[in-house]
Parts: sequence; C-alpha cells; structure tokens
Amino acid sequence: MNWAGAVFGLSAAVALLGAVLAVGLRNIFHNILGFALAILGVSGVLLSLGHDFLAIVFVLIYIGALAVAMVYAVMLSHSLGGGRTPRRRAKILGAAAFAATATAAIWLVVRNAEWSPAGGRRELEAAWAGYRFLTDYVLVFELISVLLVVAMVGAVMVARRARPGKEG
Amino acid sequence: MPLAAYLLVATLLFGVGLYGLLQRRSLVAILISIELMLAAVSINVVALTTLSGGDPSLGLVVSLVLVGVAAAETAVALSLFVAIERHSRSIDVEDLSELKG
Repeated sequence: MNWAGAVFGLSAAVALLGAVLAVGLRNIFHNILGFALAILGVSGVLLSLGHDFLAIVFVLIYIGALAVAMVYAVMLSHSLGGGRTPRRRAKILGAAAFAATATAAIWLVVRNAEWSPAGGRRELEAAWAGYRFLTDYVLVFELISVLLVVAMVGAVMVARRARPGKEG
Repeated sequence: MPLAAYLLVATLLFGVGLYGLLQRRSLVAILISIELMLAAVSINVVALTTLSGGDPSLGLVVSLVLVGVAAAETAVALSLFVAIERHSRSIDVEDLSELKG
C-alpha cells in the first residue's frame, strides 16, 4: 500500500517537473528532453495504478518513437531553437492567466463531481484487454491500424522533397 | 492513493500543456504541449476506470487507442513542420501568416 503511494508521489513530481521543463525552457532540445521526463513520470503514475503494460507502452511509444522523431525533425530543420527574439510579456501573461483560469475551472468541476466508488480493486490483465480488442472492440482496433497506415503514408508524401519536373 | 490525487495530477499536467500551447511560438514546442495534454487525458481515463467503478480493461483499451492516435498525429505534424520549414525557412507560428486575410 505504501509502496504504491511512494511510487505515485515520486512519479507525479517527476511528471510535473518534466512538463514545466518541456514548456518553460527556451532550447527546443531541452524541451524534448523535458517531455521525455514528463512521460516517464506519467508511466510511473500508471504503474502505481497497476497498469504495468500501459506504462511500458507509454515509454516505448512516447519516448522511444515520438521524442526521437521530434529530435529528427528538429535536426532536419535549419531554424534550430528559433526563439532569438525576446518573448512578449503580454503573451506570457495572457497565456498564464487563461491556463490558470481553465485549470481552476476544470478542477472545480472534477472536485464537485460525484464519482461512484470502485467495488474493490480488481486485478486486470493485459491478456484480457487483448481479448477485448479482438472481440468487442475489433472495429476500433482495425480503425487504428488503418489510421496509422494512412498517417504514415501521408507523412512520407508530405515530407518528401518534390523532384523538379515530376508531379507530386 | 485516492482518486482525487490522480485527478489533481492530470489537471495540473493539462494546465501546463495548455499554457505551453498558448505561449510557445515554435511549432515543435506546441506539438509537445499537445502531447502533454493527451498524456493527462490518459491518466484521467485510466484512473477513473480503475478506481471508480467500470471496467479497468476498458481504460486500457481507450488509452491504447489514444497512444495510437497520438503517434499518427505526431508523424503527420512533424512531416508538415519539415515541409513548412522547407517552404518558408521558419517554424515560428508568428511568421506563418500567409493565409491571413
């Protein structure tokens, strides 16, 4: 019981620290590293909920695939870093005010909602979720597959350098 | 841990992502902020299905779908950024005003 609490506290702190680094730093590479740290924290939070499979999937996909792809995209673009011009104070203050207001509103709604309590902690297995994926949610599964194929082909087509004298 | 702790962490993560979405000017940084908000949504879905009635495997299924959609979104977005950078030598959103009327 205490073990899960310690994992949760540590992971939540890591996730929020990583998120602040991912958003606050000026260097885009540092942002990506902060994002990886935040996802590590999020997967720790999922681990403290008992979702070990989902935690591994988060690390694999978000850090192993998305963060690395972002690093490649930044390296492929010439305008590294970008932010040479100073940030505008009005934009920072406006963004902070809006984000704080929206967060407070969400928290008020969440706080006042009536969540039905769970009937005891149930064990869950990734194998059972896999069974559901191939029976009840098989349409969702197929849709995700098609979406990923279309997105990958589309990404290649968009990023491809168009050859001169040749269409598309 | 109580359900409220998980919901609080998810809300704070969502708020940080929202701030970054509004304040950053680099397209890649905006994409990172959106991914943070998606991760916060995943925490919410998993915590609610695990600790508050319902079926925990449903939360697992929804989160896996979210991860798949996030992967597709990032692939398309990054290739668009590369194409935009090649076209206008910049990925600063305040420079990208060609469609402004």
